[in-house]
Parts: sequence; structure tokens; C-alpha cells
Amino acid sequence: MIETVPTPSPEVFEGSAATWRSGDPGTRTGAALMGVDETPRTGLRDGIRGFWANQRARRRFSEEAFASSRDPKLGLPVAGTPAVLSFVGGMLRERKGVAIALVLANAASGVAGLIVPRVLGNLIDEVTAASATSAIMTRVTTICWVMVLVLALQGALYFPAKSLSTVMGYDMLASAREHIMRTVLKLPLSRVETASTGDLVTRVTRDVGTMAGSVRWALPVFTISSVTAVLTVGALILNSWLLSLPLVATTIVLIFGVGRYIRHAPKGYITMGRMYSQINSGLTETVEGARTVESLGLDERRLARTDRDIEQAAQTEIYCAGLRYQMFLATGLAYQVPLVLALVLGAWGYSRGWVSLGQIAAATLYLQQLTGPLENCVQTLNQMQTGVSSTSRLLGIASVPPDRTATDERPQGDHLVARNLTFAYREGRDVLHDVSLDLVPGERLAMVGPSGSGKSTLGRLLAGINAPRLGVVEVGGVDVMHLPLERLRTDVALVTQEHHVFVGTIRDNIVLAREDTTTDDEVWQALRTVQAEDWVRRSPDGLDTMVGSGRASLTPAQAQQIALARLVIADPHTLVLDEATSLIDPATARHVEGAMSALLTGRTVVAIAHRLHTAHDAQRIAVVIDGRIAELGSHEDLMALGGEYARLWRAWTS
Amino acid sequence: MSLFPPVVHAYESPTRRDVRTPGEAVTDSPTRFLFWLLGKQAGLIVGGTFFGLIWFLPGTLSPYLLGRAIDLGVTQLDMPATLTWAGLLLFVIVAGVSCDVLASVFQISSWLDALYRITKLVARKVTQMNHVISRRVPAGEMLSVASSDSDTFGALAEVSGRALAALGSFAFVTVLVLHESTVLGLVVLISAPVILGLSVPMMVPMQHNQRVERERSSVLTGMAVDIVSGLRILRGVGGERTFGDNYARQSQSVRRAGVRAGYWWAGIQSLSTVFTGLLLVLLTWLGVRAMLAGDLTVGQLISFFGYAVFLQRPFNTFFEFIQKWVSATVSARKTANLLREEPPWRSPEDPRPWNLGPIADETSGFVAEPGRLTIIVAALPDESAALADRLGRYLPTSSGPVESAHEDTPARGRAGRAEARAKLAERAAMAARDEARANRHWGVSVGGVDLAQIPLADLRQHLVVVDAGAQVFAGTLQELVDPHADHTREQAEHALWTASADDVWEALPEGWQGRIDERGRGLSGGQRQRLVLARSLLLDPDVLVLVEPTSAVDAHTEARIAERLPAARAGRTTILTTVSPLWLRHADRVVLLEDGRVVAAGTHAELMASDPAYRAVVVRGEDTVPPQATPPDHPDQSSRHVFADLWEGATTRD
Repeated sequence: MIETVPTPSPEVFEGSAATWRSGDPGTRTGAALMGVDETPRTGLRDGIRGFWANQRARRRFSEEAFASSRDPKLGLPVAGTPAVLSFVGGMLRERKGVAIALVLANAASGVAGLIVPRVLGNLIDEVTAASATSAIMTRVTTICWVMVLVLALQGALYFPAKSLSTVMGYDMLASAREHIMRTVLKLPLSRVETASTGDLVTRVTRDVGTMAGSVRWALPVFTISSVTAVLTVGALILNSWLLSLPLVATTIVLIFGVGRYIRHAPKGYITMGRMYSQINSGLTETVEGARTVESLGLDERRLARTDRDIEQAAQTEIYCAGLRYQMFLATGLAYQVPLVLALVLGAWGYSRGWVSLGQIAAATLYLQQLTGPLENCVQTLNQMQTGVSSTSRLLGIASVPPDRTATDERPQGDHLVARNLTFAYREGRDVLHDVSLDLVPGERLAMVGPSGSGKSTLGRLLAGINAPRLGVVEVGGVDVMHLPLERLRTDVALVTQEHHVFVGTIRDNIVLAREDTTTDDEVWQALRTVQAEDWVRRSPDGLDTMVGSGRASLTPAQAQQIALARLVIADPHTLVLDEATSLIDPATARHVEGAMSALLTGRTVVAIAHRLHTAHDAQRIAVVIDGRIAELGSHEDLMALGGEYARLWRAWTS
Repeated sequence: MSLFPPVVHAYESPTRRDVRTPGEAVTDSPTRFLFWLLGKQAGLIVGGTFFGLIWFLPGTLSPYLLGRAIDLGVTQLDMPATLTWAGLLLFVIVAGVSCDVLASVFQISSWLDALYRITKLVARKVTQMNHVISRRVPAGEMLSVASSDSDTFGALAEVSGRALAALGSFAFVTVLVLHESTVLGLVVLISAPVILGLSVPMMVPMQHNQRVERERSSVLTGMAVDIVSGLRILRGVGGERTFGDNYARQSQSVRRAGVRAGYWWAGIQSLSTVFTGLLLVLLTWLGVRAMLAGDLTVGQLISFFGYAVFLQRPFNTFFEFIQKWVSATVSARKTANLLREEPPWRSPEDPRPWNLGPIADETSGFVAEPGRLTIIVAALPDESAALADRLGRYLPTSSGPVESAHEDTPARGRAGRAEARAKLAERAAMAARDEARANRHWGVSVGGVDLAQIPLADLRQHLVVVDAGAQVFAGTLQELVDPHADHTREQAEHALWTASADDVWEALPEGWQGRIDERGRGLSGGQRQRLVLARSLLLDPDVLVLVEPTSAVDAHTEARIAERLPAARAGRTTILTTVSPLWLRHADRVVLLEDGRVVAAGTHAELMASDPAYRAVVVRGEDTVPPQATPPDHPDQSSRHVFADLWEGATTRD
């Protein structure tokens, strides 16, 4: 009998007082949490001073949020900017021809566009100087027709130029994201098993999205706009160097106004993105947990959480808007004030006979034409920066070091043995201590033990997912960590409670382990083994029926059968079942029962068991306690031993 | 800015006590809903319009001032006049840029106001409806209203201010140009809508392809998430090539749609560039003629160039407004349908306060005495779960998934609308059924009072049902276990210890401040379940109903929890459903449920001794408690323990 202890012993929660926060943190507003003071200010000067103080608090918040997004705990690494530049450079080199054609076509169409104001200016000069009206009108008409031709030419060039930019943007984006997914699919097995999927999901959704924006749109637009801007400036100087002097002012204002924005804005926008996904994930929890919210009376708290998230999003919006408007003021003036300067300079030059009226007219047109490309450059520069930071997170996936080195050794036989395993997830905290286990081929061994005792970890080492810190797991005399994954899968498999059905055909979902060699007959045979043949035959497209989220939905039993059929195809001689049966819905169990038993037939099975019947019926039982195998033997042996297992069994059956 | 984000009070919940100021949306028609929403933003929109009008000034006035400066200053060699006009121009530019910023502040504020308002309304609707909402509206639809439709409304609110300002400036320019030259004025006025009109036919296929791209791209994102969520299987079992290739194929189909849209976009861009150029040529030709005839000055001609370029802006804004209005109407229909849902509960006509007494269910004949631990045993877990729902006054969990009435993918047009109407009618019928069920005699009484007579808020506070799908919310461990922040550390630690969840605390280096991810991602099923249990124990309600509280917990830990919980709940009423003997020994009273009726009751020992049906459910279908490990001759057919049996089946088949 286990003795009833009324209260926890003090050492259970040693040092917990330091981490407990008394008082209700839920009552603080989102702004207050960010250090933003919302007390209303009186007077303009006080108001402005308050605004700047708050803006500094918001900047601190955005910098912290950005830093933590760059360095997620337990997450995957982040690559540096040089890696991104060489990645983009490599993609551009692969498309050298298209890239050059793109720049040339844009330059040509830009030049055509620049001719028009110049010709208009010349016309005005001629007209103001003219006296013979009828002759000049004929000439004007001719020039106008020439310009129509120029415009047609410009249109003819403009279309391929723009199209090329789209084609290249989409092409680069497609190969970038396909490259990333291939990298994800090569992640080391041990890393996949330990890392939370959240970080990876964020990367393949949000970061790919941000990268898409910059590769598909920002990069081509930036390239084209800078080419256009340079050409326009060139035309302006050719038209009259005097009237192009105002550009010096533009440049200075742009460098200062935009530089500041470019430094801070990407962090602000990334933080803003995080705030919105915070609102969404909070709301998702409220919606999906509506029943829990109701039963615990958490509705007010959930609303407060949403309101707080919204307030934080609003604060980052204010922060980014502040940055943006500072820049708008600078750029707005930088684009338009040169017009006034050119006018005054023009008037002065005209009075001296240095410039003509036509030149002034052309200069004003050029200056107005310059606004668009410059605006585009500034906008895309910002987006390209966030694109670089997203891409660096994506390329970081590739920098995870491999966890195993395959050799040419191949196992002789099915004998799995573990020698002196010691393992730690975190340095200095061993969860397994010097564990050895020799599996008899074909035996059924159950592992029981309290949660956190290390039985799941032992299962993972046996399946070759993690490498032990000390010791070795050998299959047929070969270290499992020396086998290539493709081979390991056909020797040992870990079966968990996950029955993920992928979006794809039924065949795609089954052939996994031997995707290149499996025939349809073998798939049908596997389906027959797991007793799923009937419903697959009845499915509209047989093996080609699309399944997975958003498609024909499978019942839990069917999903389990699919998962088992995968293992039939993989055909490993040893199976490690980790809680594989604990969450099975009893209502569907009947359908899966035969399938599971067919799968286990003729294989060595290590079952991590929650239920005592499973243990009871195994040939051997290993009781794992505190990272050691405390008891090992048959049910009778352990009952005779009178240890932990015997006590539990009596509690169960009394 | 004190009202930003907006303060929203709406949708008083029957489980919430405070009375709120109504701020409910007008939901009778999409158009009325949009007007209601824009009405809420009236102040911001008017502000945006006002400053937007002034912002258009440089566009409208600066060509005029430029022309004046050239005619009266430059050509006359009159430097002071040039400087005067240039000074005016500078003033207009500075005013315009400042007002641009101010207008943008108002417009963005109205965008965010609409966005946040809708998100808050959805959150309030969800917490008002609580568990009932999942019977009516699919979770995805609620979340898309909160995050994407709300953004559509924001975009509409933002463009509204700009469209009004554009209208004003258009009128202003019309007067100005017609005043200067009738012919040129008409050309300028007509050209802007003509250029826009020419691009409209190309916009239709472009937007179609953009929509296709978006749809395919969201499928692609889904595939990426699918791959990442199943990555353990792909790396553990195999299938990297198959799903990598599927992803690449979809990525290419996104690219193709994007490129097609890009061609149309390039076409529109080239067309509008060419036509703008042609307009300039036409103006020059007409202008030169007018100049030669003495009807027009050089300055006036230059200002016409400016007007021609400027007028395209208001027309683009009008067009944008129409597009956004159309898509906002679609969103408005969806949003109004969600916000129109009402909770089925009405306050009881003869309310009676909560008064603890025996809890009796008429349907099953179940009775639980106050202050005792009663355990419900049923061969089919669904039966005991249904009883738990009734005890807590929850409408039954809906059988199938709720269908979205607003899916725009499968059937568009008339058939799609008919389908949507049918689904909405179904939803309304469900609401009527819920209302009828919720307001008649409930059939469960506490201390002789039917639950329908006890105010829902009162009931929820005293009787807590923890269902099998209870959610864990993201936050610190402290927030998770003590969501109301009204307990001491000692109490919380005692609860954690009782639920044997101290391993979670230990695994978090930050202790109570350690973070738990959304839905407890990163925790094992058993850890999640034990945290849910600890949370409900800390809540310490008069009556606690636990559905399968340890189904994912291993036997060792389950035994420990079953030891500790009765002591922690001593003197309180606890009802739980399970079939584990480790629990049953501790029950004051066990009832056996068969076909929804209580067929036997007593202590575990009494029932084991007297009731074979009970033994069949609890101990693997054998007639006697197994004294030793002899495999049963007849494999048990009770679904509950099927895995123990297939285990044997496999063993014997060897």
C-alpha cells in the first residue's frame, strides 16, 4: 500500500517563492506593460515631450521583441546577413541572362520616357521664339507624331520590362521557398523530435510570406526604380546642369530622413507582425477553448487578454506611424521643394541667358517624374530589409549540424542491444544513467515507470533518434547512429500517438519509408494487412484519393490504419511503441485492433506502457525509475521480487 | 488618442454578472452594418477628409502657381514676382506635406479603429456565447472575421476619407481648368476617367489571376504547415521526396498564376504610361495652337501638364473605393451573420439561488451525495461524458463539424448563394432548437432545484465540469494554474502536487514564471492533463465534475493522483468518470452506467464482489481478478482494453 501523504514535502518546490508573483498581473494595461505613460498631458510642450518619451518606451519594447524573435529559446538558429546576400547572389547568377535583359529593357523604356519632356521643352522654346505661325504649326504637328511613335516604342519596351521583372521575381521566389522546404526536410532527426514545431511553423508561414513580398515585389521594383531614378537624374543634368543643382538638397534630406527610418522601421514592423499574431493566437485559444473559458469563468480574463494584445498592437502601430511620418515629412519636402528651387534658379539663369524657357519646363517635368522612382526606392528598401531578416531566419534552418554520420557498415541480423547508455537533454542533467538492455529478437518487452523516469527517452535512444552521451545502441553489431536514415527506418521504428495524415493521395501517405520502390500491389497488400482495403477500394479514386486536412476527412480509425500501413511498408524488425495505444479512442479501437496485432506479429516490440494489462502480458517488463532500470523480468519474476511493480499491480487489482 | 484603440462594451453574457453599455452592431443587412461601422468612425473620416482636401492642394494649386511664376516672373524677367510666386508655391508644398501626414494619421486611425472594433466585438460575441458558439459557427470562420474581414473594413474606412477628399479636389480642379481654357480643360477632365476606364477590362483578368494565386498560395502555406507538423513522421518513417515534390509542384502552380497576373499588371502599367504620354502630346499640340492664336500662355500650358498628371489620382481613389466597398459587403454579410448569433439562455422566471444538496439526473437516475467522491463507470466513455455535460448544464457537443456558410471556393454564383442560404437556415434552426432546449425544465436538480431555475452565472461558479477536451492557455505556469490570480503560492503548489504535476514545474528553469505555449504545445498529453487537473483543484468549487481526468497518465502517476485527490477534496463534492481500478478504490460510491441508465451502485469492493457486468468493464472481462499472469483463454471483446488483448493475440500467433 502506498502511504497517503497529506501535503508535499518542502523540497519538492525548492526555491519556488522567488518565481511566484503575488498580485494580479492581468489588470495592467497593454500600454503600461510596454512602459508607455498614458496620463493625459496639458499644454502643447508637455504633450510633445510626453509623446517623445512614450516613443522611446515603444522603441525599447520593439527592440526587445525583435531581439527575442531573432533568438528564440530552444528554437532553430538564425543565419547572418552575409549568408543571405550570397544566397540571393547565387540565385541572381543562375539567372544572369534574365537579370541583364530586365535591367536593359527597363533602361531602354526609361530612356524613351525621358525623351518626351525634352522634346516638349524644345517645342516651347521654338514657339516662344517663332514668328511664322503656319510654318511652325506644321513642324509642331510633325514633332507630335514623332513623339507618338516614341511613346509607342516606350510602351512596346515597357511591357516586356515589367513582365520580365514579374517572371524573374516569381521564379526566384519559387526556387527560394522550394530550397527552404528541402532544407526543412533534411533537418536532423534528433532536432525534429526535440524542437517545438511552433518556431518552424512560423518560419515556413510568416517568414516565407515576408520573403515572398521582398523577392517578388521589392527586389525587382527597387532595381527598376533605381535604374529609372539614375537615368532621370542623368537626363536632368543633360537638360541643364544648373537646374539639376536642387537635387543636392534632395539627396541630403533623403539620406538623413530615410536613414533614420531604415534603421528603426524593420524592427518596428517585425514587432507589429508579432503583435498581430499574438492577437490571433489569443483569440484562437478563446474560440477553440470556449467551453473551458466558460467552465472556469475566464471570459473577462480572455477579453482582457485580447484587449491588452490589441492595445500593444496599437502602440506598435503608433510607434511605426511616428517613424513613418517623420520620414514622410522629410521625403515629401525632398521631392517637392526642388521644384521651387529649380524655378528660382531657372528665373535667375533665364535672366542671364543661361537657360531657356524650354529647359525650365523640361526640368520641372523631370523633377516631377523623379518622385515616383524615389518613393518606390524608399518603400522597397524598408521591405527588402525585413525580407533579409526573414530570409536569414529561413537560411538558419540549414545551419543545424547533422546528428549522425553514416558509414558503410551494415547490420548482421536483428539483434538490438543497448550498452551503458547515459543521456541528457540539457548539459549536466542526465536523465538516463548507465542503462543497458539486451533485446531478444522477437520478444515483447514492456517499459513502465512514473512520468519523467526516462522511459520515453530510452525508447528514443533504442530507435536511434537521439545519440546517447555515453554508451552505444547497436543493431546487428552496428551503431545505430552509423546507419543512414533510409536504412535505419527499415530496422527500427518509433511509433507514437501521432497519426498525422498528410495532404496528398492515400498512396503518398503510405509509401513513405520506401517511396521510390513501392509498387501499388505492395500498397494494397499493406492495406489488407491493416484491414483497410475495403474502405480504400470504396474511396472515389482508390489509392489516388486525396486525403489530409481540407480534403476527404478520414475517421480516427482510418487515420490510425494509414499510420500502421506505413509501418507495414517500412517493415522494421523492431518496433518501439511510445504511448502508441494510450490515446486511442476506445470507440475506434475495435477497427484498429486487428491491424495493430497484424503489425506486431513476428517483430521485436518494446512498448512504453501506461496501462498495466499491457505490461502484464509482455514477456519481460522493465521498470524504469529515475533514469535506471530498477526491475527487469517477467510478471511472475517481478511479483516475486515484491518491488515497485508488485505494489502497483496489487493496487490495481485489489 | 485616449480612445484608441476603441473601448468596446457589447454582448452581455449570461455567465457574466456586470451589466454593460450596449455597443452592439447593426446586423440586419450588410449595407446597414457598413454604415453603422463607418458611422462609428465618422469623426476620424471627417478629419481625414478635411486634411486630405488640403493635402490635394499642392496637386491642384502648384501647377497653377508654377504657371503664374513662369508667366509673370520668369518670362518677364521679374525676379521679385518670381520669388513671390515661388514663395507661395513653397508655402503650398509645405502645407500640403504636413496635411498629408495629418490626413494619413486620421485615415490610418479610422482603419485601425474599425479593425480593432470588429476584433473586440468578435471576442465579446465568443465569450457571450461560450460553448454554444461551437454548435453554430466554425472556429475558422470566427477567426477569419476577427483577423481578415476586420481588415477589409479597416481598408474601407481608410479609403472613405480619401475618396471624399478626392471628390472635393476633383471639383476644385474642374473649376480651375475650365476657367483657364475650355478645350484643354475638357480634354484634361475627360482623359482621366478614360485612362482609368481603359485599364478596367485588363484589371478583371488580373484580379482573377491574383485571386487564383492567393488561393493556391494559401494551399501552399497549408502544405508547408502540414509538412512541418508531420515532420517527425517524414524524418522518422520517410517520405521526404514525395512531399517535397508535392510542395514544389504546388509552388510552381502558384508561380504560374502569379506570372499570369503579372502579365496583365505589366499590360495595365504600360497602357497607362503610354496614354499619359499621349495625353501630354495632345495637350502640347492643342496648347501650341492656342498659344500661337494668343489664347494661352506658356505658363498655362505647363500648368495643364500638371493637372493632367494630377487628375489620375482622384479617379484611382474613386475606383479603389468602389472595389473596397464591394469586398467589404461580402465581409459584412459574414460578420453580421456571426454577430447576430444570440445565446439561447434566458434568465429564469423564478430564479433560485445555488444551494448545495444531492445532485440528481432524471434521465439516468444518477444521484451524487454532497461532500462525497462519486465515480461514474461506463463501458462507453461517450455515455459518461454526456452525463457530465448534463450535470453542468452544457448543451451536448455537436455531433459533426459545423459547416461554414461563407465558403467561396466550391460553388459560386446562384448555386453558391442558395447553398449559403440553406446553411444559414440550418444554423437558424439549430439556434431555435438550442433555445427551446435551454429554456425548458433541464432535468438535473441540485438540492431539489432544477438547474434551469438557477441563474447560469451562479451555477457556473459553484459547479465546474472539466471535460475531456479542456484547454490549456498560453502564458506563464502561474497564470495557467491560477488564472484568476486569487490564490497563494502554497495553495497552488499543493494543487500541483495533488495532481502530481510537479514535474512540469521542475522542467521549467523559470519556475512559476516559465512559459507554456499555446494549447500546451511542448508538453506531453499526460502533463497537459495533470495541469488541467491542478487548475480545477485550485479553483476549489463546491462541485467538481472531472471527465476521464487521467486517461493519458501512466499507471504509477495515476495511482499517486488517486491517492492524493480524495484528501484534497475532502468534504467537497467530486464526481469523476473513469474505469481505472486505481481510482475506483478511493470512491465513496461508484455507479455503473449502461445504455445511459444507472444499473448498479455501491463501493468498488461491493460491486466487484457482486456485479459481473461491473467486473467486465473494470477488469478486462475476466470473471475473477487474475491472481497470476495466465493469459485469458477468451480474448476480451470489451473495447476498452482492446490493446491488452491484441498484444496477446500477437503473442500467441508467433
